[in-house]
Amino acid sequence: MTMTPRERCLSLSRIAVFILAAWMPLQGWAAQATPLPDWSGVWQRRGSGEAKASATGGGPAKVGERSLPPYNAEWQKKFDANAELVKQDRFPDPLSFCGIPVGYPRVVNLPDSYEFVVRPEQVWILTENGPNLMRIYTDGRSHPPADLLWPTYTGDSVGHWEGDTLVFDTISIKNDGDTIFDRNGTVFSDRIQVVTRIRLTAPDTLTADLTVTDPGALTEPYKIVRQFRRIEAGARVYDYACRENNRNPIDASGKTLTLGTDGRVIDIAK
Amino acid sequence: MLNSLRSLALLAVLSTAYAGAVSAHHSTGMFDQAKTIKLVGTVKQFQWTNPHSWIQLDVANAEGVKEEWSIEGNSPNQLIRLGWRPGTLKPGDTVTVLVKPMRDGAKGGMFVEITLADGTVLKQYDR
Repeated sequence: MTMTPRERCLSLSRIAVFILAAWMPLQGWAAQATPLPDWSGVWQRRGSGEAKASATGGGPAKVGERSLPPYNAEWQKKFDANAELVKQDRFPDPLSFCGIPVGYPRVVNLPDSYEFVVRPEQVWILTENGPNLMRIYTDGRSHPPADLLWPTYTGDSVGHWEGDTLVFDTISIKNDGDTIFDRNGTVFSDRIQVVTRIRLTAPDTLTADLTVTDPGALTEPYKIVRQFRRIEAGARVYDYACRENNRNPIDASGKTLTLGTDGRVIDIAK
Repeated sequence: MLNSLRSLALLAVLSTAYAGAVSAHHSTGMFDQAKTIKLVGTVKQFQWTNPHSWIQLDVANAEGVKEEWSIEGNSPNQLIRLGWRPGTLKPGDTVTVLVKPMRDGAKGGMFVEITLADGTVLKQYDR
């Protein structure tokens, strides 16, 4: 029995579909209904890292024009005290100490470059500054049970994909003093929980929408929008060893000092 | 050497062209953002290091006496994206540096722009 050219073509197509159907699950592709987005390359934060000090309220924020958090009375006092320290240039920032991870959500508010590594089972946010690593599980797992959970700088993040949007929940964030978000004095309590949604909103623009809930410090959820632009193709990410030559130590009062090459303070005491 | 330094001595208050510049690692509160001074001197050392790069610059003061300035800038990862290289400055190079000086009058500051001996201009920020 001979096949017509059309029958031969159909037969070959069926064989190809069968082979592909048997092979794809082995590659782990079947678990992801839609292809994972391309977040490759090197990225940098858009705009300033600080909220506008003149803004009030905690409503939805525009990129670069984030409003200040809706603090309860106790934490408003803390923020006001921090604002005073900012004026005196003595507000502590973990970024300045060299060696302490900045934690979450500060990880999305850093200078220097970023990488967003998308894998089927995890997403990693790698920051050049620090460096810092944020690990987000997307393999379907839940947060650990309470007896396996203790506060850490980046907390515990589990997430999933809603089409091309990464959605993840972060809990158990370590609170040394307070969790700071920027140098304006924005702080959160140890009851902070963050839901983050990240997606490409333009070919070279990643937008992160954060909803911060914190019954310890906030009267309502606080929304933060951060954007990142993809820089030129082929850009490298460089070493950032903050302890290499830190000539700006912080003294006990929170003041940033300047050291000469001999290690002596060159500031003129006032 | 001192004569050449004396002939290069120049300390002038310029405009506020670079107000608003920020540093990655620490607050810039110790620098007077309202002032930009121009320092002409001889590179003693260029530290291409994290979290800040540093230019140790010998500058002759008004009396012609050599003084060493510690002038910090951004980290290598930022500078290299703006055209700086680890070998951009070598000891003995004569350069002109625009600096946000320390508020307290110490011989320190933050560089915002440098002009090399061959006229090449490199900036600290891309804006």
